[in-house]
Amino acid sequence: MGLSIREKADAVATFRFISVYLMETLARWVPTTPELEVKVLFGRHLWDLAQHADAFGKRTAELRLGLHQSRRPTAAFMVVLETMAGAAGTPERLDGFFEVLMPDLGSRCRRYLDETDHLMDEPTVRILERVLADFTRMRRDREQLGQERPDLPTADRAWLERLRRMAASARDYVDFRPPPKTAEVV
Amino acid sequence: MTGVSFETKVVRGVTLRQAPAREPCFTCVDLDSEMAEWPDMSDMSRRERIHRHMNNEAGALEIAALCVSDFPDAPWELRMLLARQAADEARHATLLYRRLRELGGYKGEFPIANYEWGVTGMLENLPGRLAVQNRTFEAGLIDLLGALRNTWREAGDGVTADLLDGILADEITHVRFANRWIRQMTEQDPTVLLKVAMAVRFLGRANENVAIREGEVNAVGVPLKPKAAPAVNVDDRLAADFTEDEVKEVLRQAGFRSILPSRLAERASA
Repeated sequence: MGLSIREKADAVATFRFISVYLMETLARWVPTTPELEVKVLFGRHLWDLAQHADAFGKRTAELRLGLHQSRRPTAAFMVVLETMAGAAGTPERLDGFFEVLMPDLGSRCRRYLDETDHLMDEPTVRILERVLADFTRMRRDREQLGQERPDLPTADRAWLERLRRMAASARDYVDFRPPPKTAEVV
Repeated sequence: MTGVSFETKVVRGVTLRQAPAREPCFTCVDLDSEMAEWPDMSDMSRRERIHRHMNNEAGALEIAALCVSDFPDAPWELRMLLARQAADEARHATLLYRRLRELGGYKGEFPIANYEWGVTGMLENLPGRLAVQNRTFEAGLIDLLGALRNTWREAGDGVTADLLDGILADEITHVRFANRWIRQMTEQDPTVLLKVAMAVRFLGRANENVAIREGEVNAVGVPLKPKAAPAVNVDDRLAADFTEDEVKEVLRQAGFRSILPSRLAERASA
């Protein structure tokens, strides 16, 4: 089945980078978001993302890349992350994170699961399954917030659509290292 | 933390970080004289106490989150603890907001202050922030909550008393990890102690400047007098990894008043 150890390590390290980036983004948004209910939602979820990063970071060590190693995604995917993180208004932050980024990241996790050998790569598979379960709960929290605060406006649709298109066009998100030379230890 | 700029304000001669974002329904103030606090346990006073505590927990969430975003090069294990603290404080704020509504209150019903954020947010290093926020403000909360849970229970509100006791259990863990990390960082780099000392000195100066002044009354006409430090919660401070000597010093400063007396309290007052 498809992925080498090196490719798995690069992908897991990229997932770690993304998790840390999102954790830091939510952390930055906490003091700058006025609505209490949204502030506390970001505060609770940044801990979920920290746990994901931690699990990925332990796995990178098992895949010969070292403990808590991150790998910056491709430039195209970085633009998606940076655009979302740059959202200034609460509606854009909420919808950019929960309606675009999280489903997109979920589909990337599922794509990895489709490509890897579930027995050989079982530790990564378990981490991704837990991450996906967390994403489901986190999106449920977001829906609950909508019921609690129906007065919150929706995001600028054009901005959201642009973000969605950027994410769709950034299909490759792992910046794989070049294959090793024969004598190189990987 | 480099190159981070933020807005500041001057309160009675001390420069503090500008308040974090709040909804327009809130009135943010800076001094005790602008707050609406009552010394009794009337319905209004109960709501105000919960409202004030809710905002303080939101502030603690914001400070922990700020540490996560401001110090990307901090050890990963410490960042994890700060992320966990942020989630805990978020949960506390939510629980208190729920209790406030159960008691008939609402957001913005009373003025709020963001003093802890104002002080801690000025500090440019992580040991300093841990020393001020976790080791000082939150450690003070250990003492305060130790006393308040009894106050609420005696006032016939066991629900709030249990809620405060649950929050207290979490706060002990926040103080404990700060104590351990400051100790560890100081062992690795003795100059950390200087940063801690400067942070505590800044806090002391800020406290002096905003302290209640002779003859002041608050926004609802209650005469203000310097608040007596709450009884020292000896056992929970020890659980938070303060050393016996440190607890003895706090006991000495508080005139040996302690709750949950332990062998240490007895020894200190002997």
